[in-house]
Amino acid sequence: MDIIFFKIAIILTFVLFFLPKQFQYYWGLFLHISIISISSIWAVQSLFSDVQSLSFPFILFFGEPLHIEIDKLSAFFLLVINFTVLTGALYAKGYLIPYFNKKNKIELALHYFSFLWLHISMLLVVMFRDALAFLIIWELMSISSFLLVIFESEKKETIKIGIKYLVQMHIGAVFIMIAFILAFVRSGGEFSFDGLAVYFESHNPFLLFLIFFIGFGIKAGFIPLHSWLPHAHPAAPSHVSGVMSGVMIKMGIYGILRVLTYIHHDLFDIGLFILIISLISGVLGVSLAIVQHDVKKLLAYHSIENIGIIGIGIGLGVIGVAKNIPVLAVLGFAGGILHVLNHSLFKSLLFYTAGSVYRQTHTRNIEQLGGLIKKMPKTALFFLLGALAISGLPPFNGFISEFFIYAGMFKSLHSAGLYTDIILLFSFSGLVLIGGLAIFCFTKVFSIIFLGTPRSNKVAQATEVEPGMIFPNFLIGFMIILIGFAPMLLVKPLASIVSIFTIDTTPIQQIIPTLNGISISSGIFIVLIGIVWILRAWQQKKQIIKQGNTWGCGYTGANPALHQYTATSYADNFGQLSSHLVNIKKEYKEFKENEVFPKEKSFETHSSDIFEDYLILTPANHFYSRLKKMGVLQTGKIQHYLLYSLLFLIVIYLLTILNWI
Amino acid sequence: MISFLCILITALFFAGIISKVKAKIGARKMPSILQPLYDVIRLFKKGAIYSPTISIIFKMAPPIYFASIILASFFIPLFDEKGVLSFDGDFVFFAYLLALGKFMMIIAAMDTGSGFEGMGANREALYSMLVEPAFFIIMGSLALFTNNTSFQELYYNLHLGTDLSLIIGIASIYILVYIAMVENSRMPVDDPKTHLELTMVHEVMILDNSGFDLALMNIAAWLKFAIYGTLISNFMIQSFWPLYFKIIAFLIIQASFASLVGLLESFRARNKMDKNPQWIIMLSSIAVIIFLTTLIITNKIILN
Amino acid sequence: MTYLLIILYAITLVYFALSERVKKFIWILSIQGAILFGVVLFSLNKIELFDFLFILLETILVKSIVIPWFLNKVRKHNNLKREHEPYVPVFFSLIMVVLILLISFVLSNYLNNSQMRAQYFTVAIASVLFGIYFIITHKNIFSHVVGYLIIENGIFLLTLAVGSVNPLMVNLAVLLDVFMGVLVLGIFINHIGDTFSSVKSEHLSKLKDN
Repeated sequence: MDIIFFKIAIILTFVLFFLPKQFQYYWGLFLHISIISISSIWAVQSLFSDVQSLSFPFILFFGEPLHIEIDKLSAFFLLVINFTVLTGALYAKGYLIPYFNKKNKIELALHYFSFLWLHISMLLVVMFRDALAFLIIWELMSISSFLLVIFESEKKETIKIGIKYLVQMHIGAVFIMIAFILAFVRSGGEFSFDGLAVYFESHNPFLLFLIFFIGFGIKAGFIPLHSWLPHAHPAAPSHVSGVMSGVMIKMGIYGILRVLTYIHHDLFDIGLFILIISLISGVLGVSLAIVQHDVKKLLAYHSIENIGIIGIGIGLGVIGVAKNIPVLAVLGFAGGILHVLNHSLFKSLLFYTAGSVYRQTHTRNIEQLGGLIKKMPKTALFFLLGALAISGLPPFNGFISEFFIYAGMFKSLHSAGLYTDIILLFSFSGLVLIGGLAIFCFTKVFSIIFLGTPRSNKVAQATEVEPGMIFPNFLIGFMIILIGFAPMLLVKPLASIVSIFTIDTTPIQQIIPTLNGISISSGIFIVLIGIVWILRAWQQKKQIIKQGNTWGCGYTGANPALHQYTATSYADNFGQLSSHLVNIKKEYKEFKENEVFPKEKSFETHSSDIFEDYLILTPANHFYSRLKKMGVLQTGKIQHYLLYSLLFLIVIYLLTILNWI
Repeated sequence: MISFLCILITALFFAGIISKVKAKIGARKMPSILQPLYDVIRLFKKGAIYSPTISIIFKMAPPIYFASIILASFFIPLFDEKGVLSFDGDFVFFAYLLALGKFMMIIAAMDTGSGFEGMGANREALYSMLVEPAFFIIMGSLALFTNNTSFQELYYNLHLGTDLSLIIGIASIYILVYIAMVENSRMPVDDPKTHLELTMVHEVMILDNSGFDLALMNIAAWLKFAIYGTLISNFMIQSFWPLYFKIIAFLIIQASFASLVGLLESFRARNKMDKNPQWIIMLSSIAVIIFLTTLIITNKIILN
Repeated sequence: MTYLLIILYAITLVYFALSERVKKFIWILSIQGAILFGVVLFSLNKIELFDFLFILLETILVKSIVIPWFLNKVRKHNNLKREHEPYVPVFFSLIMVVLILLISFVLSNYLNNSQMRAQYFTVAIASVLFGIYFIITHKNIFSHVVGYLIIENGIFLLTLAVGSVNPLMVNLAVLLDVFMGVLVLGIFINHIGDTFSSVKSEHLSKLKDN
């Protein structure tokens, strides 16, 4: 019954093109909400019942009924997708107001249409098991996100970035297709995910897993497959970036997890591989984020880092299954899967608040901002909430998922073998380093954008955004605080999801007293803050509170914004340590020795992504310069082209005579 | 509860002992041992001056920082007496709680819009990021050795009998002393006596705080020292001693730790500022050696 | 007790990676000599008294006192203060020394058999590998001599590990090697310092044929 409503909702998306501008948004929102409610009912039914998976036929596909299968893993992803798309749709209303008059009816309709189809295709990706349907829906997802990314198509850069994005997505899809075909041909099972099980039983899983990993990894954004992320996310409008970064890249993670559910032997190499790539992604992602000045590019690199953290959890889980250490397996998978949810929450929150800042100040360059907290206090506080959560600090949700991974690692140190212990040493040192670097980065971003004095006059005309754009932040903030303070609510659903991968889920019962302890400690923390605050207010009531300028060591003449710290100076400390990783180049002219009255000098620093440089740009440029030499053949004269055709005919004739073809 | 009270008592005297030792070595007249306490009481009686550049963050940060230190001290056990709170994996919560305090301090420092505070905040962020792995690797070694993951159980089961485990104890104490110096912004990473703005790290971050907030910062600094001192003294106290003996030994060890800090401060110069990161990474390297030693003890590395 | 000394030796390797001053290099070298003295004292008790005394004297006298004294003379003659700009930043050397220690400990676990005393083998291999790494990453000729001496310490530990019947011969040969090497190199450095007025090894490449 509800399937019919679902199908009707999908068909009704086409109505968008016939509506006038004012009603398009509301129609789109109505369709979003109906699709969300139907799929969430299915998801909740599957997650909280004992049934292995819900399954019902969806549509007739090449003569056979195509099934939707929702098991616990799919149900989890359905709920994550629905929540983030809902907040994105709510946020989009306010964000798109400046574009209302600039774009015509068809362009806006196309935008809402693509947003709806991104939502629908993401939902169907986690629900289809048949390989051909999966690939078609994957393609639909890429195309709809491409249309969303090039929304601001009046800028030429955006179209170039969109095309780069589309090309990389297709390369990923090709790898996934090759992997499916390989499994189908080699083992003769059916052409679907379930057919993989037959293949994996009889062959070494590593090679096929590697091909799947490259395909899904391009979507997820593991290093070195990540080059599209830092370009596509800044170019897209903020609600799209939030949804893409929050849930679309998790579709890659879903793919990897789904493939992993069918592999039951030879898991150690796979786990080690995932772990190493994730550690590198985590550390490099956050290092590259530190040296960026564009706030959305910075957030995109942070998505790469968090995908690394999710991968660390999954990799450790797989190693735990391989080496038969239940604690590591259960807590590793639980931490990784929970981080999928957590990251979608705080990353979308950060993108929405950054988008509000961009809309009010028309710049993404943080070096031109400052002191925005006085103009946009609510936005600033939500950004702070997102920053605290993404750094993994208690009492918010980022800490809970990282804590699961840490607990798994430390509890299994004693029972693991020598090599596993050394792997665990590198893992927890890596994870703690990633956490520290994230704190470094977000103190920088938050302080430079919102605190201090304004660094340019772009801040002057900024005002707080309307309540419609702040309401989604409240929803997300509520979820962040809920998961942070009451993590034990999630134990049962997580246990049922993790049981797909490992059989023994008793360690998750052991962690419940710990989670209770964390909640109690967080509660005591809030009480302590309240007590100290009240004490201070009581003491200061009886005292004189004065205002005095910040200590400037006697520099009274200069504009106070000038001797503040800039973003480059804050990151310079770290940039010196990691100059080879992030490829920092400084260009400046030194003062000459006899230059008594200095003239104006300039100083520039650049950082670039070494993977993009060496893997993509350099070979592409090489290839291009070689191919340019072939350009002599294109003379522009039609006589030459006819001559080429004539030569070709003669050659073919000669070859047939000589019996070579 | 008893551990928290002990930490509080030692915190009151800690800064006093350090300045007494430094004065004695520098052949100056020694201040009273309760002088820091008198200073803080004087600050509690004063009003405050706030800059017009600041926002709610600057006012919000000191209570959050102070509350995080107090909550962190709830977790520390006193040999085998539990702290006020204890659960598996609480040292992870402890470390991240201290990181939350530092986060708030750093953004409060940047809130004043001063280049000096930005400098201090930047350096503080880098050094505390680099010292975290060392702490975690030591805790990982102890977890590997005792197969427990909460502070209280770690120390309870830590039997430093054989000579190999004695090495772990001594090396851990050595590294923990240095970690304490880094986290409290003391020599050789930062000199608390210099007030040249370009060379300060922690002192410059609290430059614009006054009154109640400054008093909170000072008490938080003492508490942090007392916390690390308790972590160190737990290595040395055996669980089979009677209670009064343990408390006396604890107070003696804390006093000698304070004197050691005073000695280090008097005789050691501060590192050149850009040599600091590599010095801090050295702490993590030695922590890895401790981990290797633990692997040998637990017979994962078999050497005849 | 030997484990304590082994771990202390590993820590001296870490300090080698950290420090940049020439005086500190010499100081850590003499500490390493003292540690080796302790190792010999506590472990070698199955051989003849004369060999035992000889090896003891070799470590404490030659490694801890004579060679550092000689190196000090060279340092003062050439007025060396710091190692300027090694090829790699210091924190990279720190990470490398940790990796070298990890690899050597895991390797000796793997190679564990009854013919070999694996306790010494760990830091022996680490010392040899680290000495080679030290020479590669430092530009100064003096640092090359120091690296050479670290390798020699490692080889000394190897003779203890792969304990042969007659360690005396091996140690005599090694001692001669070290003595001659340090003597020749020391005189070499003094003369180079006088001629070129610097001791950077890049200048030596000017002696090439073309």
